[in-house]
Amino acid sequence: MQYMILIYEPEDAYAGEAGQAALGEIVARHMALAEDLRAKGWMKDGSGLQESSTATTVVTRGGQQTLHDGPFAETREHLGGYYLIEVDNLDDALSVARRVPVMDGGKVEVRPLAVYD
Amino acid sequence: MDRFGAAIADARPRVVAALAARLRDLDTAEDAFADASAAALVAWPNQPPRDPAAWLWRAALRRAIDARRRAAVRDRAVLDAPEPGPTPEEALLAAEIPIPDDRLRLIFVCCHPALAPDSRAALTLKVVCGLSTERLARAFFTAEPAMLQRITRAKRKIAAAGVPFEVPGREAWPERLDAVLTTLEIAYAQAYEDAALAAEGAIFATEVLRLSGLLAELMPEEPEVLGLAALVRFAEARRPARLDDGGAMLPPPEQDAGQWNRRLIAEGAALLGRAARLAASGPRQILATIHATHCARAETGATDWATIAALYDILRELRPHAATEVNRAVAIGEAAGAEAGLAALDAVRGVEGWLPYQAARAALSARAGRRAEARAAYDAALALGPALAERLYLEARRRELG
Repeated sequence: MQYMILIYEPEDAYAGEAGQAALGEIVARHMALAEDLRAKGWMKDGSGLQESSTATTVVTRGGQQTLHDGPFAETREHLGGYYLIEVDNLDDALSVARRVPVMDGGKVEVRPLAVYD
Repeated sequence: MDRFGAAIADARPRVVAALAARLRDLDTAEDAFADASAAALVAWPNQPPRDPAAWLWRAALRRAIDARRRAAVRDRAVLDAPEPGPTPEEALLAAEIPIPDDRLRLIFVCCHPALAPDSRAALTLKVVCGLSTERLARAFFTAEPAMLQRITRAKRKIAAAGVPFEVPGREAWPERLDAVLTTLEIAYAQAYEDAALAAEGAIFATEVLRLSGLLAELMPEEPEVLGLAALVRFAEARRPARLDDGGAMLPPPEQDAGQWNRRLIAEGAALLGRAARLAASGPRQILATIHATHCARAETGATDWATIAALYDILRELRPHAATEVNRAVAIGEAAGAEAGLAALDAVRGVEGWLPYQAARAALSARAGRRAEARAAYDAALALGPALAERLYLEARRRELG
């Protein structure tokens, strides 16, 4: 099954000097995780995203489309990156999610892709 | 329940588990078992089966395979496409192998931590024990449509999110086994909650007794599994004595120990003894030991409150919880005097709206001769809307204070 692993973190998690130092370590752990997933044949895709201030949202309502500056949801945590993996089952996907490096308060959501058969 | 009904209930966990493991779908497994059970009730009076579980397993598997075959034929895109070939299930049916034991796998699936704790408890009792949605709704104090939705959603998540039908690897056991045991504790709390629900609660508790016993049989080397099975037995042993003649609840120290079920107490003691030999303590074993100490009054004639207080000291380290603190204060009150108990209770914070806290405060205050405080606490407890048996008990104590 394919699973999307969505990484949510407070946007200010990497602010300041301490944040930047932490970022270096987190990125190194992402690279190690991605390497391991590739070796296992589990990795389909994955990337970090630019900060949420770069987001543009297209809203469709009443037949009209409008553009909004910023992400769609007003939350403290923002979608910061994702992995797309192919594994046997939820337990394997959760084992990957547990290894995704995040700052304190980070959340990692595991969602199976829809199956069209 | 007649003897055929009892045989079907006994066979259920093993047969449904084996079906679910092969069909990879809880609904299909449950439907097939229900069909096979209905057929059994027609066939068995004339021709009793040698092995009811094996009969049900084969009948249910055949029904499930037929249903899948019909669906496959119906869904064939091209009319003259060949008939679907034999499936692995059909090979299994032809091979006459005995029922595989997949009960542990089924329990781990139903108690997967990816499901909400309440859903796990409801799902386990539904799928493994075969309780009806209607009965579960009553036990969980919820409407039947809401209960049905909770179970349906949990099953859907298991299927759609790819929860594996496997016993997890040993490295995952601390978390996964804890989820299973917590599920059983939630299920049992529903059965134990209201002493006045005598009939309903007793039937429900029977299922938790069965389930905890099954788990102890399947995981005989896990001390907390044995501890939980023991705990449920000690607590159920006292059920016959939990109400007085007027329908009021009686706390353990006031119960007639002569009415306690000696067989269940002995079973609990044996389980706890086995757990102790595995030499790895845990909160369920400590709780079971507390219950065992209460039950020992049936033999010794007195409750060893100092031991119970000491056990709560250990439990509060292992499992910090307001309930542990309140029960500890009650034990200290019995062991070291009401004032000492009140002092321990004063240290518990944020529980003013919790019935057992107010009930404990009222009883300790009354014993300490603080009548005004006792009356106030009984009034506070009664204002929290206790269930009938608890209300009758609290009202009687309140009246004694004048």
